[in-house]
Amino acid sequence: MATPMFTQTVSQACEAGFVPARRRVPITEVQHLTDGVVRLTFTDAYTAQHAKGAQFVNLFTPDPLHSAPRPFGVSEVNGDQVSVMFAVVGYGTEIFANLQAGDMVDMLGPLGRPFQVKADAHYILVGGGLGVPPLIKTAQDLAARDNVSCTAVFGYRDEHFADAFVDQYADELLSIDESQGNVVTLLDRLEPALSQDSREHIILTCGPLGMMKAVAAWARNRGIACQVSMEQRMGCGYGTCVVCTVDTKDGRKKVCSDGPVFRAEDMGWNE
Amino acid sequence: MTDMNPSHNDDMNLYAPHQWRHSTVVAGVPWKNPVGTASGTFQYAAVRYFYDVSQLGAVSTKGVSPVPWEGNPGVRTAESPAGTVNAVGLQNPGVDTYLVDELPKLKAAGATVVTNVAGHSDDEYAEVVAKLADCDADMLEINVSCPNVSAGGISVGTDPVALSRLITRLRKLTDKPMIVKLTPNVTDITLIARAAVESGADALSMINTLLGMRIDINTGEPIIEHVTGGLSGPAVFPVGLACVWRVRSVLPDVPIIGIGGIDSGEKALEYLYAGANAVEVGGAALLDPTAPIRVARELELLLDERPDLAHTLAKGGTWR
Repeated sequence: MATPMFTQTVSQACEAGFVPARRRVPITEVQHLTDGVVRLTFTDAYTAQHAKGAQFVNLFTPDPLHSAPRPFGVSEVNGDQVSVMFAVVGYGTEIFANLQAGDMVDMLGPLGRPFQVKADAHYILVGGGLGVPPLIKTAQDLAARDNVSCTAVFGYRDEHFADAFVDQYADELLSIDESQGNVVTLLDRLEPALSQDSREHIILTCGPLGMMKAVAAWARNRGIACQVSMEQRMGCGYGTCVVCTVDTKDGRKKVCSDGPVFRAEDMGWNE
Repeated sequence: MTDMNPSHNDDMNLYAPHQWRHSTVVAGVPWKNPVGTASGTFQYAAVRYFYDVSQLGAVSTKGVSPVPWEGNPGVRTAESPAGTVNAVGLQNPGVDTYLVDELPKLKAAGATVVTNVAGHSDDEYAEVVAKLADCDADMLEINVSCPNVSAGGISVGTDPVALSRLITRLRKLTDKPMIVKLTPNVTDITLIARAAVESGADALSMINTLLGMRIDINTGEPIIEHVTGGLSGPAVFPVGLACVWRVRSVLPDVPIIGIGGIDSGEKALEYLYAGANAVEVGGAALLDPTAPIRVARELELLLDERPDLAHTLAKGGTWR
């Protein structure tokens, strides 16, 4: 079957003043990192131009029996190339892991609200496991800005699969695996240097819920602002189906479009 | 990999303004084309970025209740073969917010609006309908078929006596065209359909979702916190089609909106041949925001080749 290219989708949407919807993009690279983690790269100039840290794309399998969107946080952008990183955990990720350069995949994005960043601040990017990839993109965003710096604080189960990627962008990288401790261990180590530094410190975190709660508590106890990137089983990814809600102090919010980024204090975790 | 996804047609510009060639009429209300969005799968605030909502035949809103509903807690969705099981629980900001927020925006955008009405009791449905009686919505759709709320919803829509009581009461509150949305989770949908029409419904829409669930085999527990949810997607297409066919066969004159598993112009056409006046696209919009527009454009090409059917629909008639 001939595979059509959906290059027109983007130009037609932009000309009419709309956001491009689902389109078909070519895979350009599939890297199998350690620990079963895969880094998938595809060409999409629109996503490359617009995506920010913590935003995600929906990928679709070509199998109509498994048609639901699979959301993946954008991990890096280079030119018109967009990368995501994921572990093989089920049917969909298995299909995507077995793609090869030249294959086509359906994609919708970028979706969600990114981390909010400003000038004259030092960002601490605290990631755990498969929560790390969106923070690589965040580090990349920050590296392109003036008057900001960032420290990546990454925790892994075993292999430090993302260190080489984030190292290009972060001013400082601290990483740890479960045999040595966790990200709070690293934050405690970092603390003396922070207190010597007069800039505003802001924590951006993405990872397992328990980790993010511990990081948010650590930040709160030190008067440091903290933004969290939440996860929930998603449907549409663009805010229409309302299945991916999490409870916040302001009621149930959609992770896909109200988030995934929320202010830690709005989550009501400490009350 | 062989591509079996129907959701592609690069020949069409779905974003540019389009002059529709084939209209339809539902209970006296003209639709620009026979394709709308199904309730629960459309929110103006989310969709407006992707396409011009005035291009749709009609928009059926998310269900609105008398007061804000927060919906069900925890995980609300699970994939299933050719579909998804969802249990949102009709989360919505309530009718007062709807009237000052979503409805004015939809009308200003040029949409034909079907306002979907939800309630936990007859009193709650009546409260919403009374508040909507003089609003700008073109039609009301009474949701007596949601499987994901503890009261109201499907408990009314599976009992002809309870449904008659409710619709008789609502009929007195509004002159707006009133659609009753039916569930397939009944032994004989024609009994429910007849009860709705005899008590004052102007039109019927069908189907709402099928009751379903999924279990996580690693934990042995239901994936969805509400345990059961509603199945939608291509899996339910033949069920919805059979419901429309059966209801049409006993109620030759009632306007019917066919819903269930429509993700292409061809499937929409099957519903029209089963006797529907119009169709609504639901689950497909969760896989691609522009799916309802694409289905409408594909159907338009099919109706170009079927002038008898197109002419019948434009005059308010149906194939069967």
